[in-house]
Amino acid sequence: MGQTLLDALNVRLVGSGKKFLVLAHGFGTDQSAWQRILPYFLPNYKVILYDLVCAGSVNPDYFDFRRYTSLDAYVDDLLRILDALGVDRCAYVGHSVSAMIGILASIRRPRFFSKLILIGASPRFLNDPDYHGGFEQAEIEKVFSAMEANYEAWVSGFAPLAVGGDVPAAVREFSRTLFNMRPDITLFVSRTVFNSDLRGVLGLVRVPCCIIQTAKDVSVPASVATYLESHLGGRNTVEMLNIEGHLPHLSAPALLAQVLLRALSR
Amino acid sequence: MTGTSYATTINDLPDVILSTIISTISAVRSRNAAALVCRKWLLLERSTRTSLTLRGNARDLFMIPSCFRSVTHLDLSLLSPWGHPLLSSSATAADPSLVAHLLHQAFPAVTSLTIYARGPSTLQLLALHWPQLKQVKLVRWHQRPQLPSGSDFTPLFDNCQGLNSLDLSSFYCWTEDICPALESYPVISAKLTHLNLLNPSLSEGFKAHELGDVTRACPNLKEFLVACIFDPRYIGFVGDETLLSIVTNCPKLCVLHLADTAAMVSARSNTNGEGFSPEDARITIATLIEVFTGLPLLEELVLDLCNNVRESGPALEVLNSKCPKLRLLKLGHFHGICMPVESKLDGIALCQGLRSLSIRDVADLTDFGLIAIGRGCSRLTKFEVQGCNKITVKGLRTLTSLLHRTLVDVKIAFCKNLGATSSLKALEPIQHRIQQLHIDCVWASEEQFENLDGGEYNFDIYKLDDGCDLRRPANFMKFDGDGTDYDGSCPKKKKCKVSYDLNFSDIQVNGNGIGYANGSEQYGKTWDRLRYLSLWIPVGELLTPLAAAGLEDCPYLEEIWIKVEGDCRHLSKPSERDFGLSSLFLYPSLSKMHLDCGDTIGYAHTAPSGQMDLSLWERFYLIGIGVLSLTELDYWPPQDRDVNQRSLSLPAAGLLQECRMLRKLFIHGTAHEHFMMFLLRIPNLRDVQLREDYYPAPENDMSTEMRADSCSRFEDALNRRIFD
Repeated sequence: MGQTLLDALNVRLVGSGKKFLVLAHGFGTDQSAWQRILPYFLPNYKVILYDLVCAGSVNPDYFDFRRYTSLDAYVDDLLRILDALGVDRCAYVGHSVSAMIGILASIRRPRFFSKLILIGASPRFLNDPDYHGGFEQAEIEKVFSAMEANYEAWVSGFAPLAVGGDVPAAVREFSRTLFNMRPDITLFVSRTVFNSDLRGVLGLVRVPCCIIQTAKDVSVPASVATYLESHLGGRNTVEMLNIEGHLPHLSAPALLAQVLLRALSR
Repeated sequence: MTGTSYATTINDLPDVILSTIISTISAVRSRNAAALVCRKWLLLERSTRTSLTLRGNARDLFMIPSCFRSVTHLDLSLLSPWGHPLLSSSATAADPSLVAHLLHQAFPAVTSLTIYARGPSTLQLLALHWPQLKQVKLVRWHQRPQLPSGSDFTPLFDNCQGLNSLDLSSFYCWTEDICPALESYPVISAKLTHLNLLNPSLSEGFKAHELGDVTRACPNLKEFLVACIFDPRYIGFVGDETLLSIVTNCPKLCVLHLADTAAMVSARSNTNGEGFSPEDARITIATLIEVFTGLPLLEELVLDLCNNVRESGPALEVLNSKCPKLRLLKLGHFHGICMPVESKLDGIALCQGLRSLSIRDVADLTDFGLIAIGRGCSRLTKFEVQGCNKITVKGLRTLTSLLHRTLVDVKIAFCKNLGATSSLKALEPIQHRIQQLHIDCVWASEEQFENLDGGEYNFDIYKLDDGCDLRRPANFMKFDGDGTDYDGSCPKKKKCKVSYDLNFSDIQVNGNGIGYANGSEQYGKTWDRLRYLSLWIPVGELLTPLAAAGLEDCPYLEEIWIKVEGDCRHLSKPSERDFGLSSLFLYPSLSKMHLDCGDTIGYAHTAPSGQMDLSLWERFYLIGIGVLSLTELDYWPPQDRDVNQRSLSLPAAGLLQECRMLRKLFIHGTAHEHFMMFLLRIPNLRDVQLREDYYPAPENDMSTEMRADSCSRFEDALNRRIFD
């Protein structure tokens, strides 16, 4: 399965350094989201890029609805890739859901990751009485109904027409890339994302983490970054970037690259 | 004789005649239909087919049919996946030399080849098998590989000694690749008669000394098209000396096309308030006259500059006598081309032989100049005017009525006083004969004409002139023996009396034949012969006012080209939900569309709050497209320049899928596989391709939309469907 997995998820190994670095994208984009960050790391790292199984560039037949019911299956994929490449230790940069995948992977393999860099991460999106995840149930429902509308249209042979811009502003930034996936996968995956709650396992992480948060991410409040910092088990730092949006690697790659370089060197 | 009488059919003709008839058919679908009639017709059709474009996946090349052995022109540039490195050993599973051999077996008679040459390896094998190639067009929108200069051409020049035509207008390379290659192969260069170096992807164009080198190497050129720079602030700009050297080196030129690279990239020009560019070109009138004198065989001349050539009238006056065969003329930034004093024709108006005239950014062209052109260039079938801000609807309308016998193709673009409504008003005199048209969709509110009815739309040309009495038909509107009079009912020698009225609704022609009837009730808004319409529209504007502007009734309009241009990063959400494509429903014959949003720039994923992502813009543009019964569509998605992304979004895929009658769809950008899969629901869709024909085309590695595997899977799924 090793070689097939590497092909199926478009795994690429580039760069001429000694240390391994994984760049993992979030839902709705694919590894090309890193294209403007990549040049900064090629001289000093062997960079591993891959596509999540739900990315648009992956054959949709590989998306097994029975398997990818929780983030654990995605963690399986990541670890299988790293095993197939013969990696025994690496640094990891994960955006959005890939940040969560990285956290889970580091719990499973405590000595595998030298550093975790988490961009736009959140252990749980829904608000609780004593936890501010950033989203109210009603807002998330709007996202779901937009996706369900797309799904029903898709199933009936009509044009899916809802896009990331149609949902409430609070959720828009986060979910706009979700609509880039196939409607059935999108609906399925968003349920996975909004149902996941990793607060309980954060303490099991021993790897040093750098939490990167954009100051103007409407979707992920600044308090989530501090929550992560205080609850992740290892030595943690927070970097707040004074840029807008949920996709700093697309909107401000040069700035983000500098922050990443600094974080990786520590 | 009972019942069964056999009528004589076309099949009873002798084979030789039948073969000749079939060989004249050029439309591919008609040929395919003819080939299905019976075995005899199949053989005749196959043996007379001389031109073939291969579509299909490159990995399936071993399945090429061998029945097309008469093909002399072969186009291999559209094989899937687009930009595939054909015949390179890494790309295919099959041995490349075997595939090359198969191609030669299937098409032994090829003399003209169009091919996507990602690198020299493609041609290395093919040129060996086709040494008799005479015309070659190379296509490459991907990056130039890191190889010594000129390597792209070595296999071709080594093997094809009979080469006489080379077209690099879609081939990205460096200017330094070409001159040395031509100079190293003097036998080939001396034989070249057609050389096309008009490539928009060259950022700087050819320098003056390179032009000199190329023309010196190829003295027998008859057709030379090249992108260069005329701006004197750049090193290697083209000026007097260069022009003269071109003429001295290649006296046999009948097509000369020199375009400034800036003109090729963007339509709008950088002019000051008066309409002049900041710098003048270093081209004098005396040089121009020498150029014209040195090229007596000239039939087509294009000097598309972005720098001023002032007071060029006197040079153009001699054009007619020095280049009597000149039929097509295109000039950019030539000022003073027509400054008539009273009724005396001057400048370009003296070029009576012209059939096609295209003028751009002539700062001082006025209505009087237009009228003089209309009177003097009396055989024009095609007229294009762009960026001339002093002309108005009056002058243009007089021009079209003067040319109403011949004019069938008009383009009006970026002229301040000629938005959509005025342009259409100006075209009323040829409303019943115009076949091709371009206008800008500028719905200016100043175009509410106060004097709309019964007002002055034409100049009273009798008043223009004191001396010559234009009412005397002998001086005017001579119909000579050209036979260009389409109506034919006005016999050659007879002179028809023409009179012009001030009321816009009347153009009366007395005498036999051509009669627009008197009275405005006959003058409905029907564009009887309009087949092709091209529109330019700034981003954010709606299309819906088009019919009201004057294009309500176009019964035979079959093809439309819409270009949307602008930066939507500065715009807020449009007021309407849809752009208005569905309003084109009122053209019943519309079947082909090119929707070009490629020069619309925006944010793919990173729109700041308050602005729209490109997915929303695509939805805005494409809503309603399913209502039209399009059979062919070319679509250029908007682009996010920051990430070099021109990609189909979800709503775009969904909306394109609504075009149920579509047979051919070409998307000039990238798309995710699962979006392409939406398109499989279109029942008769047969030919789909993602053509990234812009520079730089995305290398497959980094752009993960539509990798080669995705492309193959999609095409397999497309071809697996069974058609009724």
